[in-house]
Amino acid sequence: MILAMDQGAGELARLMAAVSAGDGSALADLYARTSAKLYGICLRVLGSEAEAEEALQEAFVAIWRRASSFDHSKASPITWLSVLARNKAIDRLRARRPAAETIDAAHEIADDGASALDLVEAEEDRARLSHCLDALDDQPRDAIRAAFFDGLTYQELAERDAVPLGTMKSWIRRGLLRLRACLER
Amino acid sequence: MTDERPSDRDERDLLAAEHALGLLSGAERARAAALARSDPEFARLAGRWAGRLAPLLDEATPVAPPARLWAAIEARIGAPAAPPSNVVLLRRRTIFWRAYAAAATAIAASLAFILVTRPPATPPVQPPPAGAPLAATLAAADSPARLVATWEPASRSLIVAAAADMPSPAGRGHELWLIPAGGKPLPMGMMPRGRPMRMHVPGGMALREGAMLAVSVEPMQGSPTGLPTGPVIAAGMLKRV
Repeated sequence: MILAMDQGAGELARLMAAVSAGDGSALADLYARTSAKLYGICLRVLGSEAEAEEALQEAFVAIWRRASSFDHSKASPITWLSVLARNKAIDRLRARRPAAETIDAAHEIADDGASALDLVEAEEDRARLSHCLDALDDQPRDAIRAAFFDGLTYQELAERDAVPLGTMKSWIRRGLLRLRACLER
Repeated sequence: MTDERPSDRDERDLLAAEHALGLLSGAERARAAALARSDPEFARLAGRWAGRLAPLLDEATPVAPPARLWAAIEARIGAPAAPPSNVVLLRRRTIFWRAYAAAATAIAASLAFILVTRPPATPPVQPPPAGAPLAATLAAADSPARLVATWEPASRSLIVAAAADMPSPAGRGHELWLIPAGGKPLPMGMMPRGRPMRMHVPGGMALREGAMLAVSVEPMQGSPTGLPTGPVIAAGMLKRV
């Protein structure tokens, strides 16, 4: 991937620090360096340019406000930014779904962003994660991927696959424990 | 999960995973969100799961967003709900606009220059200075596509604009490739439709005189192989402006 940000991880970390200090030109620079990757993530989740544009705007507003909560010792800047963009895209996906949560609940999720803020990255890379996902049975793997990219809940996944809710939960929870064991091996 | 009941510790970690993935709904969802806010250890577990799954995001192909988006973001940030003092706000806005205007002017200038002049057909006599801007005209004999690319080493800014219609079958898009002299094609991302592609390219990429830029027709998500799979509809060599 051309925008291989790891080359510029130190520069991105410097920009994040400047952004958290309220430096607008640093945000402009951060945008120039990362917007293609983050927009690609929003497009992958939302499948619509108009929606992805909105999600990317929301992501950068959140970056501006929350850059100070980025912890360089826990995750690389580009991973933190990517997860934040994914979460913003998933929020939008949910908001437009007919069976969406109430607006208050959606706001609550959108505002907490805990999973992005406290992101902890280990040494796992894409190849290792792929290997461990491939080792799962088809149903849990597909369900975990659909939750990650399409924002589907247990309830929605159970309806999609026409299985009882308890069965879907059991597949995914067992899959997650196996995934964790494989990644920590 | 009757025969392999998770331990309490696993239950808690699974709840963190469910929160990070967004699997929960209703009251369970609200409960996990509240826990993530109030319990740093639970938040750390959720963050750990987000980190475990984050490499999946590398599957998404980078796509340059429309140029107007930055102005929209600046507008949203420049008018916060609870503004700081007007002086600080004004200063912030000035910094933003200065950076944005400088970038926009440079792009407009280089594009205008390229559109009214031609890259030299013969190599320059003098060796180019290290930071000299480069340009390429991308075309192919059997395709109507025609693009101009400009590379500004000082700002590491690459702009590729279509100068003629870009044919593409329904459901497919255009991917930009960089082919270093003597190297294999490197994917540069999917091109946006109907507007120039603008990107900041990190250091270390072989954007030098003599490197080729090419555009191929690919699935909307980008080439699945990391190399061009569809027809190459335009290509051209980077030369000194």
